[in-house]
Amino acid sequence: MASRIVAFNLNGRDVEVMVKPLTTLQTVLREHLHLTATKSGCRQGGCGTCTVLVNGEPMLSCLLPVEDIAGQQVVTLEGITPVEGLHPIQQAFFDNYAIQCGYCSPGMIMIIKALLDRNPNPTRQEVMDAIAGNVCRCTGYESILRAAEDAARRLQSA
Amino acid sequence: MAIQDYFLPKSLEQALDLLTEHGPALLVMAGGTIAMPLINDGISMPEKVMGLRHAGLNTVRRQNGTLVVGATTTLTQLAQQTDIPMLQEAVRHIGGWQIRNMGTVGGNLFAPPPAGDLAVALLALDATVVLASKQRGRRTVPLAEFFTGFMTTALAPDELVAELHIPLPRGKTSYIKYARKHANTPAIVTVAAHVLTEAGKVVDARLALNAVGPHPIRARRAEQLLLGAPLNAETIAGAAKEAAAECEPFTDAIATDWYRRRMTEVFVRRALERIAE
Repeated sequence: MASRIVAFNLNGRDVEVMVKPLTTLQTVLREHLHLTATKSGCRQGGCGTCTVLVNGEPMLSCLLPVEDIAGQQVVTLEGITPVEGLHPIQQAFFDNYAIQCGYCSPGMIMIIKALLDRNPNPTRQEVMDAIAGNVCRCTGYESILRAAEDAARRLQSA
Repeated sequence: MAIQDYFLPKSLEQALDLLTEHGPALLVMAGGTIAMPLINDGISMPEKVMGLRHAGLNTVRRQNGTLVVGATTTLTQLAQQTDIPMLQEAVRHIGGWQIRNMGTVGGNLFAPPPAGDLAVALLALDATVVLASKQRGRRTVPLAEFFTGFMTTALAPDELVAELHIPLPRGKTSYIKYARKHANTPAIVTVAAHVLTEAGKVVDARLALNAVGPHPIRARRAEQLLLGAPLNAETIAGAAKEAAAECEPFTDAIATDWYRRRMTEVFVRRALERIAE
């Protein structure tokens, strides 16, 4: 079966990729476009580290055939990271010791971005509900929750 | 064998044409939350796959006291576009936010237990499934008859699930998912109950259970014990005991069959107590 060309908007830029049938967005991001902030975790939909925003909605890039999102807007961690310095959520993760090995961080930061876009001042329970699909095995959730709350304060005062 | 083709039909008609053309060799998926993990792991190695995300089946509408939900409506859309408490509760207890954005109402009917925590709510609400075929048109099957065994359904090889018809509940409902964590976790047992009482007596009872059978099941004998009786502590205790006796729990990494059966009694009792309050 011949490959197909899929066009979509990635982090504000139009991109075109040539893919074999059923190639996932995760594979396109990491292996075709060499954007490796989006991690490959369980590839089962169980860990959340491959979370990206599709039209602002958090989705798991490991379960998403890239052809399904042709013409749509995708934002990855690269897309919110400024050229100089860090995004306020990234800075809050850094300052609150919410990154240990860092493997869950890209997914955690993107889902918290999606939450704060909708709800700038979430309760702790709302943060917990939002990150329920994102697994962290070493940092510990407490510092991640603190970072999310701190990020909300930073974004509101910015 | 690598995947040879991936089809993305733009309508139900196109999807049925592709299904007729390619037959059972075509793996059908919607949100990808069941099929893609198996494909990623090499457990499922289909040659041809059809994705239904763009088939125009993600609509929700009300029609004469019935909620008509398109098969590829996502769980997030269902929660946002309906106000039935049972459905809200069921969606809230499924996966994480990302899975709810991807997983679909129709797809949940094919989720093997202990998954299927929306299907069990649909069973308690007495939903019917509309199946569509290119040659034979549409037919309607009560959800209770749609499930035929572990990972088997009444769906014919040339059919797709088009929509679900959910009657708006007339009685009181309750939904409890008991699991090892609060969120994003498989069920030990899920209980979805709908009870209508008139003049102090139960006149309609639907008690659906998940993760304690080969598919979401109705506890028919327990329902019979409720019918005609007042919904008091004695009736509830009897029905809970009967539900535990008639369910068919299994052992997996989450819980043993022994524990699931005992928790079925506990959580059927609690679900009915909430309704009786």
